[in-house]
Amino acid sequence: MDNVAINENWKDCFSRFAPGLLLFARQWVRSQADAEDIVQDAFVKFWRRNHRIDNRALLYATVRSVALDFIRSDSRRARREMVAFSETEEAVDPQFELGDETQRALAMALDDLPRDQREVLVMKIWNDLTFAEIGTALGISQNTAASRYRYALAGLKKSLQPQ
Amino acid sequence: MNDFAELEDELKKLRPLQPSASLSERLEQALSEPFAEEKIIRPEKFRLNWVSIGFGLAAAAVFLLFARVSMERKQEQGEKTAQVSPVPKNKPALRGVAGSASSNRFIPADATQVVYNKRDEGLHFSGGSEQPLRRLRYQTHQTLRWNNPATGASLRVSYPSEEVLLIPISGQ
Repeated sequence: MDNVAINENWKDCFSRFAPGLLLFARQWVRSQADAEDIVQDAFVKFWRRNHRIDNRALLYATVRSVALDFIRSDSRRARREMVAFSETEEAVDPQFELGDETQRALAMALDDLPRDQREVLVMKIWNDLTFAEIGTALGISQNTAASRYRYALAGLKKSLQPQ
Repeated sequence: MNDFAELEDELKKLRPLQPSASLSERLEQALSEPFAEEKIIRPEKFRLNWVSIGFGLAAAAVFLLFARVSMERKQEQGEKTAQVSPVPKNKPALRGVAGSASSNRFIPADATQVVYNKRDEGLHFSGGSEQPLRRLRYQTHQTLRWNNPATGASLRVSYPSEEVLLIPISGQ
């Protein structure tokens, strides 16, 4: 691979980014298997085009683009997944290695966030992207990314408060 | 720092699912396969033939070179033609007027003098002389013309003139 020339091994890079990338891909699909397909396709595209691995905004933008293509090209399956998701919660793969009840509640609250807020939160919390990188990946301004992040946290906080 | 610091810490404690073991194997297999996506098959009409483009450019350059040489030769012939034109035998009369270059020599072509008024002013004694003088006044219009045989240019000068003629009258 050409990226080896910049002292990067794809296995090292992938093992570093894979959990965050999978979580990011899960924002569009409901199963871990579909997310893995998306991440695989995106990572292969990214790596073969010889982009610098530190260009994380582009890496996540590639994942997002592949995920959207995946949804469009497989709309029937996506519809089936949405129907299945609406019918039963058990049909959805978990996104996190859940421990106690608090974490379970937090993960559920995260699922209830609007997608535009959730993807910013995922990129910020579990992928350590800056707001500038998030803005570049999503095609929004840095301030918009920061605003969505704050709205997401506020929404989570509100939903986790005892009634 | 902010109101959400505690919540952010709780979120970071959530660990995303790890990829399956088969994902790395699939990735390795995908990356080892030839890159089919780069094999973009363009329609025939959009395919660039660099050899043809190179020959075309070379032919255009040669054409421009010959066209330039041809124009330069024509200019040289034109200059030679001007230089070998027969030199007028008459000496130029207006070298100072039209310049000193050999191609700008003007030679006199003709001169006309038209008397349009003649007046006899009678006898006069001028200068205290005892002999009378008949004074005739001529008003004329003179035109002088020069030609430049090399360039075909002509120069014409017209001016009015007045001439007074004193004719002694001898006593008989």
